[in-house]
Amino acid sequence: MSHHDDALETADDAIVAGRAADGDTDAFAVLVRRYAPMMRAYARRILSGTADVDDVVQDAFITAWGELPKLDDPGRVKSWLMRITSRKAIDRVRAARPHTDLDDIDPAAPEVTSPARQAEVRAGVAELSAALKALPAPQRECWVLREIGGYSYEEIADELGVPLSTARGLLARARKDLIVRMEHWR
Amino acid sequence: MNAHDAPDPWRMGPEELDGHTIDELADYLDAGRSPADPTIDESAGCRIALDALVRLRGLTSELIEADEAAEPAADDSWVQGILSGIALDARAGRRIPLAVGADAGITEGAVRGVIRAAENAVAGVLIGRCRFQGDITAAGEPVRVLVEASVPYGAAIPDLVDRLRAEIGARLAAHTTLNVEGIDITVSDVRQLSNRTGEGR
Repeated sequence: MSHHDDALETADDAIVAGRAADGDTDAFAVLVRRYAPMMRAYARRILSGTADVDDVVQDAFITAWGELPKLDDPGRVKSWLMRITSRKAIDRVRAARPHTDLDDIDPAAPEVTSPARQAEVRAGVAELSAALKALPAPQRECWVLREIGGYSYEEIADELGVPLSTARGLLARARKDLIVRMEHWR
Repeated sequence: MNAHDAPDPWRMGPEELDGHTIDELADYLDAGRSPADPTIDESAGCRIALDALVRLRGLTSELIEADEAAEPAADDSWVQGILSGIALDARAGRRIPLAVGADAGITEGAVRGVIRAAENAVAGVLIGRCRFQGDITAAGEPVRVLVEASVPYGAAIPDLVDRLRAEIGARLAAHTTLNVEGIDITVSDVRQLSNRTGEGR
């Protein structure tokens, strides 16, 4: 790797995303490497193993490349990429269940754990991970958008195409379910 | 689960939460428990639920970190797949005429490339976003060039900036007919040796 690439890898987001916005594909590659794991992890939580996370993240990056020149503050590229990732993930969710009543959806079958996912984590974190996977999909999606993606209630409703009251209700049930389960881990 | 008549605090219903709901409590927490609401603060049921929400939040931060750490680094062929999927010509930008009435021009994207290449002559400097002030589509109009730059820790910044400005000016003069009336350089990043992600968490 050249000195130049090394320098790019250590430059801050504003510099790297600014260059990528100006058309530098090397800088864009640095963004891809820097944020792909974060975006994959986020997409995986939203989708819970029901779709190809790699495709979602790849899609998100291709959209990001096209829209980067419109990003006012390149220093905010990280949260902006998170937004694009959840949009792409939710698009898949909505395509897969266009007209279902969100209250009637059962949890997905547990994901088969791949070797990369077996890193050591503290028991409470592992329990939270399992509890999230056990939630009905719409509850999990609301919770992940809120607590990992930082969405407002309005944004969640908008993204999922449901009334605000439904989004709030799903989120309340997700929270309640998680803390009740958490009490049993203590 | 229990046969007692006493409310089970873990049901988290309005009865256990003295009329409040779990999402009200989550919102209260988001607002930093301010303004203070005595009907929440003085309710034993609410306090149990708030403590649980706080612990859940702590675990959530750890989960986010653990999730990201568990993901493999992006592999080269996957990154190349993305790069080959993006439209390289999407960044041409505006067309800059080479002379009044000339039928030859250079794209804004190409001029940015010329400006970025100036960093190769000033060791350690990286150019970030680059903007033009003034009408670059009209030949001869005065234009200011606004450049963001990143420098390595420990470098003499005024010296680097002067050299970078001279280098950009010389390259623009050699490769374009832009009437450059100024080159403003803002150093927005000082790179630490071990600064891998560039953004604090």
